[in-house]
Amino acid sequence: MDLSSASSQLNNSWVQKNNLVQRRKLKNQLFIIGALGITGLLLLVLFSILAILLINGLSGLSLFTLSHMTAPQGIKGGLLNPILGSLFQTGLAIFLAIPIGVLAGIFLAEYGNTRMVSLVRFISDMLMSAPSILVGLFIYTVIVIYLGYSAFAGICALAILAIPLIVRTTEDTLRLIPTTISEAGFALGAPKWKVIIFVCLPIAKGGIMTGILLAISRIAGEAAPLLFTSLGNSDWSWNIFAPMTSLPLIIYQYADSADDQWVQLAWTAALLITMAVLCLNIVAKSYLEKGLKNKRK
Amino acid sequence: MTDDIAISIQGLNFYYNNFHALKNIGFDMPRHQVTAMIGPSGCGKSTLLRTINRMYDLYPEQKAEGEIWFDGKNILDKRIDLNILRSRIGMVFQKPTPFNMSIQDNIAFGIKLYERLSASEMKDRIEEALRQVALWDEVKGRLHISALSLSGGQQQRLCMARTLAIKPEVLLLDEPTSALDPISTARIEELLDALKTQYTIVIVTHNLQQAARCADQVAFFYMGELIEINDVETMFTKPDNIQTHDYITGRFG
Repeated sequence: MDLSSASSQLNNSWVQKNNLVQRRKLKNQLFIIGALGITGLLLLVLFSILAILLINGLSGLSLFTLSHMTAPQGIKGGLLNPILGSLFQTGLAIFLAIPIGVLAGIFLAEYGNTRMVSLVRFISDMLMSAPSILVGLFIYTVIVIYLGYSAFAGICALAILAIPLIVRTTEDTLRLIPTTISEAGFALGAPKWKVIIFVCLPIAKGGIMTGILLAISRIAGEAAPLLFTSLGNSDWSWNIFAPMTSLPLIIYQYADSADDQWVQLAWTAALLITMAVLCLNIVAKSYLEKGLKNKRK
Repeated sequence: MTDDIAISIQGLNFYYNNFHALKNIGFDMPRHQVTAMIGPSGCGKSTLLRTINRMYDLYPEQKAEGEIWFDGKNILDKRIDLNILRSRIGMVFQKPTPFNMSIQDNIAFGIKLYERLSASEMKDRIEEALRQVALWDEVKGRLHISALSLSGGQQQRLCMARTLAIKPEVLLLDEPTSALDPISTARIEELLDALKTQYTIVIVTHNLQQAARCADQVAFFYMGELIEINDVETMFTKPDNIQTHDYITGRFG
């Protein structure tokens, strides 16, 4: 008798606890379903963008498109000059932004917390969230008004967009380095600049490279800052002080044209930028992972 | 100050902002001997070590007052050249601090700061430094590989080799074996014995047996004060001070 009453009590508490646990499990499942649903929705949007790009852009992708200049309406043209223009302007802009961005990042990370440092950091962060068209207008008023539309002005605008990203990633990666490592450099009697360049930068290399690659993918797709600066050009010239076209400008100009061929080229241009940015992001990711692995070792 | 005193500390006070971390410290460190500094965490022993090579200078909120005499000069003097000071008073840290470069470049980095050597001279110096810390046999033939791929104990010996390669006169060791396994620890301790014929060594340690094994004189710190300094024999058998006695017998700390 004792045994059976004890077992009925036991059964009872199984049941009692069961109610609560079941409710919790149900909530848990609802939450998971919700999270998965939203994620799926986002992925759906992303993949439909990619799918539409592929469907519409791939058909225009040919050796002819890659090897011929843009042409007037009615004549079959390619994308050679915008491709060159994008490579040229993005490349030079990054080339300009790397030394400024990395040096400013070093300044912010290594030269204490003076008012100057917090001011520079504040400005750099503001710049990072500034609308890109504003940067274009700024370059318009300080360069284009005096020198005219030119690739040079476009490069400056793109560099201004890239710099804050590089500053931020450089500062963040340098701050991650344990102080004992730089102290070890100082303990050998090395001057500060040598410690920074030969001890800290090699450790931060991976993070800084990632920042640079992300900055490239940011500016490669920008059209707004180029509208008022490099303007666009239906021909190709290596002159840095002449207007120059690029893929984002071609998308802007061609996308709503009445000419089907131009619309097709706009799709192809969009596909090219997207693929390039995607590749860069994958490279940046693998770089970052490699850096983390090294640190774990 | 006589010739057999390497470093003489007199009336040293140290502040982190307003926190008084070292209170009127004064004692001598004999040349070519091992001085161990012991005491519970936060007692100021590491702070004192970092004062001797002016490491605290990196941090504007840290300030030292008093005198530390080394080779006829007060190294707390503003006019002291810190780079030269740190080349004469080397430091090895608690955790291994290899630079992200090859084994040979780690050692060459320090040497290049003070000397212009031909490639073959540099090779010899690197070998000499690695032999000094008994690392040569383990790494020869792969000097070009990354220093980060060495084990923790090897990295720590590499860091000692890097410090020794620039020919300092004093070695400051901040708990150099606390991150290492017993075998690596034993190797470092053997090393200290061999090195003290040429260097004056100051070691901070939490490991009392280590202090007993390696040191010639031992200083016990508590709450920023130097409680007792004695030769190792006296310190661990019949210390003068009751607090020292309590600490080394494990009653507190």
